[in-house]
Amino acid sequence: MNPIVQQFKDIQPRLHKDEVWKNVDYTDTLGEDLALPGTADACAEVSPHCCNIPGFEADRMVIENGCCRSPRRTDSQGVLTLGLREALRDFPQLVLPRFGTAARADNPYLQFNNSHYTDGLFIHVPDGVEVAKPLQLQSVVHAGRGLFLQIHNIVVVGKGSRVTLIHCDDTYDNAPSFSNNVTEIHAAEGAAVEYYKLQNLHNAAGLLNHTYAAIDEGASFRSVAVTLNGGHIRNHTEVALRGPRCDVQAHGLYLIDQDQQADNYIFVDHASPGCRSRELFKGILDDSARGTFNGHVLVREGAVKTEAYQSNKNILLTDKAHVETKPFLEIYNDDVKCSHGSTIGQLDEQALFYIRSRGISERTAKTLLLYAFCDEVLHEIALDPLRERLSDLVKKRLHGEQTLCAECALRCSTPCNGPEAAFYIDPAKL
Amino acid sequence: MTLLSIRNLHASIGDKEILKGVNLEIGRGEVHSIMGPNGNGKSTLAGVIAGNNKYTVTQGEVIYKSKNILEMPVDVRAAEGIFLGFQYPVEIPGVSITNFMRTAVNEQRKYRGLDPLSAPQFMRLMEEKKKVVEMTASLANRSVNEGFSGGEKKKNEIFQMAMLDPELAILDETDSGLDIDALRIVATGVNKLRRPDNATVVITHYQRLLDYIVPDFVHVLYDGRIVKTGPKELALELETKGYDWIREELALGRAH
Repeated sequence: MNPIVQQFKDIQPRLHKDEVWKNVDYTDTLGEDLALPGTADACAEVSPHCCNIPGFEADRMVIENGCCRSPRRTDSQGVLTLGLREALRDFPQLVLPRFGTAARADNPYLQFNNSHYTDGLFIHVPDGVEVAKPLQLQSVVHAGRGLFLQIHNIVVVGKGSRVTLIHCDDTYDNAPSFSNNVTEIHAAEGAAVEYYKLQNLHNAAGLLNHTYAAIDEGASFRSVAVTLNGGHIRNHTEVALRGPRCDVQAHGLYLIDQDQQADNYIFVDHASPGCRSRELFKGILDDSARGTFNGHVLVREGAVKTEAYQSNKNILLTDKAHVETKPFLEIYNDDVKCSHGSTIGQLDEQALFYIRSRGISERTAKTLLLYAFCDEVLHEIALDPLRERLSDLVKKRLHGEQTLCAECALRCSTPCNGPEAAFYIDPAKL
Repeated sequence: MTLLSIRNLHASIGDKEILKGVNLEIGRGEVHSIMGPNGNGKSTLAGVIAGNNKYTVTQGEVIYKSKNILEMPVDVRAAEGIFLGFQYPVEIPGVSITNFMRTAVNEQRKYRGLDPLSAPQFMRLMEEKKKVVEMTASLANRSVNEGFSGGEKKKNEIFQMAMLDPELAILDETDSGLDIDALRIVATGVNKLRRPDNATVVITHYQRLLDYIVPDFVHVLYDGRIVKTGPKELALELETKGYDWIREELALGRAH
């Protein structure tokens, strides 16, 4: 095994008792055949894929096999986008004060990424800018051989600025891969950041995806992560509310089947008074899929008038599907409004009866209810074309073995063919 | 001609018997009203006819169009022409009324051996039926019942009834939670859908709805049985006198 990969693999046994990291067992995805990316792994072309959103304009940046492929750009509003290595060389004054600072220092996977990252994106939005077009970060793996990747992205959003980021993780071929990727988001006073993640990886791909957001007074951060496919994906999100009156929404949807695994860890650190946070994570698990939810809201002593809500809901389609959920509130003052809860369940019988009483078959009724279950999370996506696109992908994921669009009740806007419809969650099993 | 015939129907939830021997005959072209105090089995009767598996039928039969339907799945009963208007319609976020109804209409057509309606045919049908309950375009584009007011939910139930064109419609407390304008719209809708070959069962607490939907028969469901049947005037009598006199009549009857 490559010594760097081995070094990474050795982290996990040291942490198996740590509540934060106890589910991070990547033994299956960290194989002998993984190697670090080299210059030969540049690809001739990046073909359009799930990240393409019809009727939607975004400024797109591509990270391919761990390297930034997009040229440096400064747009008319002063928004700077370039590769992280280049940014460190040319704009150290912008990068260095932020690098690695959005997260807690004792994070071994972040430390590993900090010392081994190959590249990533650096985005700098100056103060007082409402970025006109959403920025799309597309991270693609397709080297035709096993890759072990460390990508580090940093997004700096100035005071009072607004920006929408779309971050796609995609694999184009079936070679195994493992990525330990970090995205840091620094939002200054009064900034508003929307961050949407779409993950559509093949079954031999492992992804440990860290999102660290540090937000200052009066800033807002809204994220929605949709996991449609992947061998083993962990979305590890930490949000630090570093000033009063911040607003945080972090949501997730995971639809997995076969032997896939999806883990969501979220830590929200209420360190300041008068902030609000809301989290909703929902998942549907088919076949032998496994999922975990580990949510931690910390309300510190001085963080009075905090509002924090946390919810995780799961539907298991088979007896073999498995989910573990642990919502957790840790509160050190008594002037708060907080709630948390989790469910693992089946579909609502009375809702099924209602739909079937209109003459709709049991199977179709279940499909409709599964979609309705997902819609609560999709609803949180404020960008209409993106929500429609993701809603289509979710519908395709849910339509089971049904192949005729005309007989499908979900009515996507595009026909069900192409690579995105390669796997199906089958409501008929429920 | 008899459309529905219920004989000695007993049904329970868990160990609790709710229906204790219901007998009821409904003919085509008729409107029946079932009245009675809360908790005496009105909604249970509606649920059992529509096929809600929350209830267990322990005795008796329900014959619809000469077939015993008790073994029939819910969706097959619907495709056979039974419609239940819900007291508490369910919200289905992310599924538009248009898509929901298109799925329902075409699945029912498939059951009857008919080709599915094309998109333009379906949209024409929908435009026509929206008028039945004065439904606005924006409502039709929204998710089924999501964020609807009480009145909008009930209008939506009658709209679905119009779309599905049932032979037997059972409306469970369709008047509850309606203001007078919504009540008029809903009742007018039901009357427009009345034909010599279909039948309507209106379950209600109040005589008020029956000012608009005039029944041919009024039944009183009390303690799991239909204890009294009369013409429409019976509803007025119940409105003025309440149900105590029926309880007394029953007590007397048992004493003899």
